[in-house]
Parts: sequence; C-alpha cells; structure tokens
Amino acid sequence: MAAKDLVASGNTVIGPSILISGKLTGDEDLTVRGRVEGELSLTRTLIVEPSGVVKANVTVKNAVVSGVVVGNIQASESVELTHEGRMVGDIRAPRVIIVDGASFRGRVDMGELPPGRSLPERTTPRTQLRPTVRSLPAPPPRPAAATAARPSSAAAVASARKPGGMPGIVRGEPARTPPPVPPAPPVVAAGAKKKVVLKKKK
Amino acid sequence: MANTVIGSSIVIDGEISGDEDLVIQGTVKGKISLRESLFVEGSGVVEADIETQNVEIAGRVTGNIQATDKVELKADCRVVGDVKAPRILIADGASFKGNVDMDVKER
Repeated sequence: MAAKDLVASGNTVIGPSILISGKLTGDEDLTVRGRVEGELSLTRTLIVEPSGVVKANVTVKNAVVSGVVVGNIQASESVELTHEGRMVGDIRAPRVIIVDGASFRGRVDMGELPPGRSLPERTTPRTQLRPTVRSLPAPPPRPAAATAARPSSAAAVASARKPGGMPGIVRGEPARTPPPVPPAPPVVAAGAKKKVVLKKKK
Repeated sequence: MANTVIGSSIVIDGEISGDEDLVIQGTVKGKISLRESLFVEGSGVVEADIETQNVEIAGRVTGNIQATDKVELKADCRVVGDVKAPRILIADGASFKGNVDMDVKER
C-alpha cells in the first residue's frame, strides 16, 4: 500500500481493464488507459492513452488524445490529437493541435481568431487552385457556383471553417470531374419517348 | 502492472467495473464491481455497493460489500452496510455498522 501511495499521489489513472460509466469530475490530472463513458469534467489535464477509450462529453483545461474519444471536448486551454489519436466529435478550445497521423471527424472551434495570422495561410492554396478549375471544360452552372464561393477569400474561409476547417476537404472540391453529360440524355429521352407513345396508343 | 487510481480530488458518480486492482483516494458513488482487489484509502469515500474479490478499507464506505475472498476493515475506517465474504477482518479502531455474513457455503 505504501508503494502504491507514492506512485499514485495526485494523479488518477484509469487502468486498461476498467470501465467507468457515469459522471466523473475532479481537480487533478487524469490518465485514461481503460474506458470512460458518460460525462467527464476536470480542472486539469486529461490524457487518453493509446489503450484508452472515452465516450463522453469532456470539459477540461487541457486534453491530450492518443487513444479514442467519441464525444465533444471543450477545453479552456488546449486539445492535442497525437499521431495515435482518433476522435469523433466537436472540439472547442483556443488551441487545437492535430498532428500528422491523427484521425478526426467533427468541428473545430477555436473561438475568436487572432487577426492576420491564420487567414493568409489558408488563402494561398485556394488561389493556386483557381486556374486549374477554370481551364476545365465545365458545364455552365458549375463555374458560377465555384466563383461565388471563391472570390472573397475571407468569407470563403469562414464558410469553409464551419464544417471542420480541414484543408483536405477543401482541396477535394475542385478535383471533381464534370459528369459525362452529352451522350447520355438523347438515348434516355428517345427510349422514354418511344415507351410513352406506345402506352398512349394502347 | 499499472493500477487504477482514483485520486483524492476525483468524484465519480456512476459505475466502475474492471479486472484489475483499484485504489480509491477520492469519492465514488454508485456501484463498483471488480474481479481483483479494491483499496479504499484514508481519504477515500465510497457510497456504493461493492462486489470484488478482496477489499481493504481505510476510509469511509457506505453500502453493501460482497467479496469472494476477503474484506478487511482497517483501523480508522468507517463502514456502514452489510459485509458478506468468507473472510472478514475487523481491526482494532475500525468503526463498523451492519451485518456480517461469513457463510462459506456460498462459494
């Protein structure tokens, strides 16, 4: 017991075979190697280790996710998804770090952005993509929609941020090839006409 | 083997289950079921029904305790509830209120 006390003091660990379902609150760091389901709120740091699974709405100061989190995280300081981290849910924190290898689906809300820092970085790839889109022989409605979404970069970035702010999602948009429209419609129309005529005769 | 520790400032309201030792320094309400040992330390407060193999209690427990092996109430602990286990130890200085059942036939 004495040895356990020394190791344990001031730090809570949920071991790999432990399941906690319900509400968990606390004022100290929490390391999750097992499962926590329900609600989790801490005034300190939550660490989800690779074996850890958290299915909960999480309210913490800092969160470091190397395991699995399903649920929303609200952090007063930062949320970090490491290369082993997998998360589905929304993140709300002033600092959000998602490293290469991490898997994430959900929204990110960093609150008010510091002006002039992150916006120019996002506009550059968009302007580079623009000529390739225009050179494509696209049908008339497509460029209209594309240009409507593109010209004011600030507005475009703001709108792009809402679904998740992932650059990968934005980049996938112009790569869509125009559908093979010309050959298909006449055949269908001809077949339809014939059938209609036959039915009417009967 | 990494143990599970519920630190002194942690409050859990719900259910804890698992196959490893659990040390409670904080507060747990609800239900605890383990296949290993449970340690409720001096600062620990448990308001829950407990099902484990072993229990060592130095803190406060309110609830029924059922152990497949042993329940140990240490000095300075305060336990209210029924205790059912083949082996039950109550140390000098322990405070306990409830029924004791050492019926060996159950095993």
